[in-house]
Amino acid sequence: MALELNEVSKRYGATTVLQPLSLEVANGEFLTLLGPSGSGKTTVLRLIGGFTAPSGGRIIFDGDDITAMPANRRPFNTVFQDYALFPHMTVAQNAGYGPLVQRRNGPEARKLVDETLEIVGLSALRDRYPSQLSGGQKQRVALARAIVCEPKLILLDEPLAALDASLRRQMQVFLKQIQRRIETTFVFVTHDQDEAITMSDRIVVMSQGRIEQVGTPKDLYYRPQTRFVAGFFGDNNLIEGVVAASGDRVETRLGNFPLAAPAAGGCKVLMGVRPEAMRIGEGAIAIPADVEEVMFGGAMTRVLLHAVAAPATKFDVRLAGDGRGQALAAGDRVCVSFDPADAVIVAD
Amino acid sequence: MAGRLSRWLVFAGVAAIPLLLVVAPIGTFLAISMFRAEKHIMNYTPTVANYAEFFGNWTYFGTYLGTILLCFQVMALSILIGYPMAWFIWRQKGSRRYYLLLLAVVPLFMSYIVKLYTLRSMLGLNGLISQMLIGIGILEKPSQIFLFNQRAVLITMAVIYMPFVILPIFLALERIPRSLLQASFDLGASGWDTFRRIVLPLSLPGTIAGALFTFVLALGDFITPQMVGGTTGFTIGRVIYSQFGLAYNWPFGAAMAAVLFLTALAGIVLAGIAMSRQKI
Repeated sequence: MALELNEVSKRYGATTVLQPLSLEVANGEFLTLLGPSGSGKTTVLRLIGGFTAPSGGRIIFDGDDITAMPANRRPFNTVFQDYALFPHMTVAQNAGYGPLVQRRNGPEARKLVDETLEIVGLSALRDRYPSQLSGGQKQRVALARAIVCEPKLILLDEPLAALDASLRRQMQVFLKQIQRRIETTFVFVTHDQDEAITMSDRIVVMSQGRIEQVGTPKDLYYRPQTRFVAGFFGDNNLIEGVVAASGDRVETRLGNFPLAAPAAGGCKVLMGVRPEAMRIGEGAIAIPADVEEVMFGGAMTRVLLHAVAAPATKFDVRLAGDGRGQALAAGDRVCVSFDPADAVIVAD
Repeated sequence: MAGRLSRWLVFAGVAAIPLLLVVAPIGTFLAISMFRAEKHIMNYTPTVANYAEFFGNWTYFGTYLGTILLCFQVMALSILIGYPMAWFIWRQKGSRRYYLLLLAVVPLFMSYIVKLYTLRSMLGLNGLISQMLIGIGILEKPSQIFLFNQRAVLITMAVIYMPFVILPIFLALERIPRSLLQASFDLGASGWDTFRRIVLPLSLPGTIAGALFTFVLALGDFITPQMVGGTTGFTIGRVIYSQFGLAYNWPFGAAMAAVLFLTALAGIVLAGIAMSRQKI
């Protein structure tokens, strides 16, 4: 393990922003810290970068305790959310700042800067000032400046948050390519689940200063273990219930549903069904529901419904294309159905 | 057509006040400087004799050059003391920085004359400075060296104009995003490197503004030299003042004032050029 957080916590006065937390980051992996704002993900990044000191616990890198090491001596570099480019320096000067202050001058350093600018595709803009660059270009400069020192770890604090959607998708691919090319560990912070799923090797889902679940994107998507992860990932439709004594059924306010795999009787559980696994029409499990809203979204049509038996239970169903020819309108009474095998059971 | 007319009217309305309060007095001054006062009687034939007299007579021209030198010294001293103070205030956390900033600019709300008298008593024979130096053992007996000379003018002006230096520098420092300092640190820079390569260049516009304030204020100040300057602390401001008062030679005073005005203008233009060269 390259980097290890051991029972690391952070308090500001009486408020705890990070519960004791342990995490291991492997060499060369793309690890994403995912969570809503206030979940503590940026705090974790700042602790790794050395910008704040933990209130407890230890940070170990390659076997050495670096908890007390200041940021300017850690072999990590950060891509800041607002890019934090030096406005009075050109692109080349920004990229060359690390080697300059680390007293690595001379031809090798210059070559390194040139190569890095080549990698991020900014060679032509080397003499521009940050104020003359677009958002995506600034992003590339920030990345160049971070990777030029050949750090062991690159920390990225919501680097794509300020970009528009299409540029964002471009930069996601670009970041992934860079990471593969320079074979460096990336720790990436985001609140965007799509971004996390498409880019990461592993995802750490955080909420309220705690780790909810750690796993590969597929793990989290198909096998959420907590209510929070189930809700945050894939916009699962959640139905509350209790496992029947026989262990093969869940009893809910909407009816009794068979379980694909037996569970311990009497447990309070949540049954989660992904929006794309739900259908409208009769099936193995069918729940009467009223259509609230139909939204055409190009590749998908999103239908929002609520159960007739319990209007507080909402369903989010996504149909391919324009809804397979089903003419739905708000107010229609239909059935939503799903296959028990597509449902995940999460302890509540 | 009507649109253009109304636009002109609006412009004239807006321009009237600066025209009346700034351009007209200065124009009058320039006009008066072209006349001659001969035995207290005005001769209205345009001439440059006043300017010739000013530049040709070393008593005047020398004083003028000495004043400019003094202004540069005041500027340098204010920056040398004011910059570290502004930096120190900026480095404080939370409400403390604003209390300190308030403390630094409070003198702006005090009467100029009160400040001058206070400094005069501090610099004087039995003043705070003398007493302190005797206490430390540097001086043996109370000294007059801090008052009624050029040095006293320099110290007093630097102290009085300090808020005009601290405030713009502090504002420039405060405008530097914290993330830039973190980025510099993150890339391996020491505190000194960060200051030299990031903080100092980015606070330069504020520093130039502060320097300009002190320079221009010192250039026009004739009360401070009068109050603490004694016989050697003679500045061009005092000379001009005496031309309007004692000598009753308005044209000559106006000519010197015009030269001083152009000097201040040159300072402002130079500072403007220096600031526009900043890539921010």
